[in-house]
Amino acid sequence: MRAMIRFGKQPRLRFISHLDMQRFFQRAVNRTGLPIAWSQGFNPHPVMSFGSALALGWTSEYEVIDIKLSAPMGRKRTEDAVRAALPEDMPVLEVRMVEDRHPAPMALVRMSDYRVALEGPGAAAVIEQVPAFLAQAHVMTTKKTKSGEKEIDARPMVVSVDPGQDGFTARMMLTEQQSLKPELLVGLLAQMAGVEPPEVRVHRLTLLGEAEDGAIRPLMEL
Amino acid sequence: MTLSDRIEKLLMSVQKPVRYMGGEFNAVMKDPGSVDVRYAFLFPDTYEVGMSHLGMKILYHSINAREDAWCERVFSPWVDMADRMREQGIPLFTLESRTPVGEFDLLGVTLQYEMSFTNILEALDLAGIPLRSADRKEGPFVICGGPCAFNPEPLAPFVDLVALGDGEVETQQTIDVYKRWKASGLPREEYLRMAAQIPGIYVPSLYDVAYNDDGTVRAVTPKPGSGAPEIVRKALVTDLDDAVYPEKLIVPYGEIVHNRIMLEIFRGCTRGCRFCQAGMIYRPVRERSLDHLMEMAEKLVRATGYDEISLMSLSSGDYSCLPELAHRMVEQFAARRVRIALPSQRIDNVLTDTLKETQKVKKTALTLAPEAGTQRLRDVINKGVTEEDLMRSVTDAFDQGWSAVKLYFMLGLPTENDEDVLGIADLAEKVRRCYFSVPKERRAPGLRITVSASVFVPKNDTPFQWAGQLDYDSVVRRQQLLKQALQKIKGVDFKYHAPDVSFIEAVFARGDRRLADALELAWKLGCRFDGWSDQFRYDLWMKAFEQTRLDPDFYAVRERPVDEVFPWDHLDCGVTRQYLLREWDKAQRGERTQDCRKGCTGCGMKRYEGACV
Repeated sequence: MRAMIRFGKQPRLRFISHLDMQRFFQRAVNRTGLPIAWSQGFNPHPVMSFGSALALGWTSEYEVIDIKLSAPMGRKRTEDAVRAALPEDMPVLEVRMVEDRHPAPMALVRMSDYRVALEGPGAAAVIEQVPAFLAQAHVMTTKKTKSGEKEIDARPMVVSVDPGQDGFTARMMLTEQQSLKPELLVGLLAQMAGVEPPEVRVHRLTLLGEAEDGAIRPLMEL
Repeated sequence: MTLSDRIEKLLMSVQKPVRYMGGEFNAVMKDPGSVDVRYAFLFPDTYEVGMSHLGMKILYHSINAREDAWCERVFSPWVDMADRMREQGIPLFTLESRTPVGEFDLLGVTLQYEMSFTNILEALDLAGIPLRSADRKEGPFVICGGPCAFNPEPLAPFVDLVALGDGEVETQQTIDVYKRWKASGLPREEYLRMAAQIPGIYVPSLYDVAYNDDGTVRAVTPKPGSGAPEIVRKALVTDLDDAVYPEKLIVPYGEIVHNRIMLEIFRGCTRGCRFCQAGMIYRPVRERSLDHLMEMAEKLVRATGYDEISLMSLSSGDYSCLPELAHRMVEQFAARRVRIALPSQRIDNVLTDTLKETQKVKKTALTLAPEAGTQRLRDVINKGVTEEDLMRSVTDAFDQGWSAVKLYFMLGLPTENDEDVLGIADLAEKVRRCYFSVPKERRAPGLRITVSASVFVPKNDTPFQWAGQLDYDSVVRRQQLLKQALQKIKGVDFKYHAPDVSFIEAVFARGDRRLADALELAWKLGCRFDGWSDQFRYDLWMKAFEQTRLDPDFYAVRERPVDEVFPWDHLDCGVTRQYLLREWDKAQRGERTQDCRKGCTGCGMKRYEGACV
């Protein structure tokens, strides 16, 4: 049995790196007192996995961690135990118990919704460019990867954008082959507007996956 | 924009922002309106170093156990952060509530090593607190404690109170007295006079220092009418089972130096190594009971989720029921995959059984500290370890699958000669032979021997407080001599450092009040994080001594006559000057003194009621 836990990462904790989050949860699961399943091998560790890494500096209300249990456990008890093991700024928002054969969260993720707040003189000009961006069929740009720079088409990675007062909400692709960070989108919009990119604050609203019927739904509902 | 928002923005542009973030599991949050006293606790080094320190954890949780006070943490911002804070006018703030340190009632500062002194000035300045106690009209009182508090004289003008000895009780008393003072409405100086009546509290501003023509101290005496005691004797907690110990520890997010449960199994040490300040100032030995330790360990494992417990003390091998403790620990925690680690191992009584027990859960490098290369010099420093002990320990360890050994030594110990230096290489060679004496099928492959040689720093309140530090050039020569000798041995890694940091450390360890000017100037010239080799600026320190007309050799290198009055003589660390002098005398004759568990050696601790059993 596995526990899929959705939790938030509030502004105070936005500087914890993904690697540190992994280390943090190694200790946090020990604190829960739950029957945690451990991996075999030379260096056993609790069996757990994350939905998707959150970049340093971002906040979120849709972080998903999946913890394998060695014995069946009720949903409520699991939720209480996990809540007690996490700090105030990492609230537990939803817990779902799934069978072992349920796909790992990472395998389910297709897209992510973000709230992108902009600050600075160029903010309004950037927001204004959203319709023009969406009207294009291709937006070629270079993306820095581990192996150097790569020419990519950013347009298909941006599923939708809703402009707002101080920024926008955006649905972006988030798979191994296709993904784009909101900062990059802001950079492209700023380029189109001919302004310096404004300061960006990214908040993850939802992780989404594809249901069997092809519909896009929040990860916890799949 | 609020201060917190400005800090948030700043964190986007500095290295390791997690250092300044707070919000860790088990960090204590309170409503500021619900407490009478706000206490900021400064560890004057980075978050990673400070959060690895046990004393801070004990005091943090013991203050926060009170309903009327809230203790919050502060660490030295790394240089990039400090510069940005100044640039943007952001004052030093606490991690918990991001309140400016200048708004607190009390500011506790722990003095763990002399090379953090400039960081204290840097922190005061960043907090907007006037550096000198005499210039402060408002803001927190600055209270220092920790091992270096036993000679706080170079810091005297900058601090308000100095807390000597165990902090558990006296820290609470400084808070109680603060509340009384605040309610009284009396002027600021009055708090200092009131605090001077607390056992273990020293108020430097209430004392006058007189000097002889040759620059040595003639006398340190309480100012007439101040009511301050002539001698301040350290505070002592006689029963550790009764003392507060945190049941919850803060669990940091990032990696820190020691990221594990620290379980203090006893305080103090009976060995009497003559170079060791900790072995003198933390006397007597006070053990926690087995049952209490097991109970503490269980609570801490549950509250933190850590997978490692470190048994802390000055000499864990000396714990009277060590085999039983190790056995019970392993039994209770192995199934939960919690490892047990024994630091500061002593080669003469690391019990083979205990090694086997700890090995069940973890195998790290075996760390041994013979300190000196020959038996003659080990007798001088009263390090009760023989070559036989050492060889038996390493052979046992190799036989049980260890393949890495770290050996710690000091260079420049009193009476040291070339033969002693070369004796270190000789020991390393013998350790190598021990490894090959174990049958190939039993020993682990890949022998690694690390020889570390630090430079000896004579410390106050030790039998070597009269000794001169070996001069710079001689240290360099002996390091090279040893390096050449070790190069001839295969598989040995030699670690050593330039002697310049140890020299400054020696100046301040036995310094007087006049050094405060040099300290302040060095900081003004840009010295900070002196304990970090990439930040240390020897040239600036030398400039500071020159411009303040202070001779660093006077403090570090000069051997002091037996009748010289020391700047710290009015501070009683528990062991008496007569005892230390007797030991200094015996050292020069190469005579050993027994471990006081085998019989009282008359160090002076018996003056405390119920201290020695």
